[in-house]
Amino acid sequence: MRASEPELPRQQGGEDQYLDGLLSRVARGEKAAFEAVYDSLAGPVYGLILRVVRDPAQSEEVSQEVLLEVWRTAARFDPARGTAATWVLTIAHRRAVDRVRSAAAAAAREQRNAEIPVPHDDVAATVEASLDAERVRQCLESLTEAQRESITLAYYGGYSYRQVGERLGTALSTIKTRIRDGLIRMRDCLGVSW
Amino acid sequence: MARPRNDLHILTGVYALDALDTAAEVRRFERHMNRCEGCTSEVRGFRETATRLAIAVTRQPPPGLRAAVMAEVAGIRQVPGDRARRARRAALLPRLATAGAALGLAAAVSLAVVLVNTQNQLGQTQQQLGQAQHQLGQTQQQLSQAKRHLIAAQTQLAAINSVRTAADATLVTRATSIGGRVTVVKSAAKHQIVVTASGLPPLRAGKVYQLWLIGAPGNRIRSEGLLATHHGSSGPVLISGVLRGDTFGITLEPRGGTVQPTVTPIVGIPAS
Repeated sequence: MRASEPELPRQQGGEDQYLDGLLSRVARGEKAAFEAVYDSLAGPVYGLILRVVRDPAQSEEVSQEVLLEVWRTAARFDPARGTAATWVLTIAHRRAVDRVRSAAAAAAREQRNAEIPVPHDDVAATVEASLDAERVRQCLESLTEAQRESITLAYYGGYSYRQVGERLGTALSTIKTRIRDGLIRMRDCLGVSW
Repeated sequence: MARPRNDLHILTGVYALDALDTAAEVRRFERHMNRCEGCTSEVRGFRETATRLAIAVTRQPPPGLRAAVMAEVAGIRQVPGDRARRARRAALLPRLATAGAALGLAAAVSLAVVLVNTQNQLGQTQQQLGQAQHQLGQTQQQLSQAKRHLIAAQTQLAAINSVRTAADATLVTRATSIGGRVTVVKSAAKHQIVVTASGLPPLRAGKVYQLWLIGAPGNRIRSEGLLATHHGSSGPVLISGVLRGDTFGITLEPRGGTVQPTVTPIVGIPAS
């Protein structure tokens, strides 16, 4: 079983437990715990938001909103329903998507997209993050091109599945299935155990 | 893997990536998810998967962000916790609120064994399911429930082991002032300690052993729940989120425990 597997899952569990414990302390108003949460998750939060929103100034603004939201609502985090990192990054992704989905923002972003290539994630902040990035890259490569394209546009691009369908000229029902099938493959490739 | 039973189930992936188009669509899917255990657990797995995609694009935040966030925090009022959620959280990491509910190693192991058995049975059952489609939904619910319990138990065990085998793990044993010994294995890197006790004297009626993290001056004294003992010994108890300067202590308190210690600890051990 999982408990007897080598190093990686165990460390993962430890890290998850560490963050879970910290968040319940944040919920009790402990600032030192919040600083530790910041130090663990601000990098992924900012990186994800920057990937979706593209504009660094706006991304910083959204990141700040997200981190303050984490402080404010830490009591709502429930470790039975997912890891602390996922709770925080779900908030981050939603906020980023809200920012780019408004019509004006979307139009402006389309404009920018025409000019600037998608920022590449080759400047990973830490060695650990670059190992994670490598693993994710390998797993993304194990998807079909159609699956990879749909997931990347939806998650990193912040596009709705209707927009994804329009961009790829593909029927909506196909997009739904592709995203689900791709995520199943991705989940199994990464060994996610929820 | 579960075959999608209807069109809504296929939306698990789209929903998990926040890629539905309208708030109405989100509400419709969430109503469906409330009745669909398979969807709920699939969405959780997809969200954890998405987290890995996010971590893969980690970037150094702008230098001013940390200070800006910390400056704002002081003025923001926090929402109170939901009682039911706190109770569930307490089930994972025992706390004062659930007096005596400490999840010992023995309990975790037997839970894991029971659940492994359950999973084996489910494996057999699934072969017969071709003929009995209506049972499938039920079985999946049990399976995903069993999986969640198993994962919780495994996570607890793995966390305990990972502290004990951490590269920087150190072990301290101290006699208590009333007899018996308490051992703490601590890992500064993990901010966690594992506590075990043996040879503690029998408790007088109405008394409990309560665990504390006593912060360095300026930090708080935090209850870490009650210590379940059997003939004076306890299973390993994991305490997370240890901050620098914390001291671990045990006091004898009235049944149910107290919010702050009322007496001098019977033992105090540096926890960081």
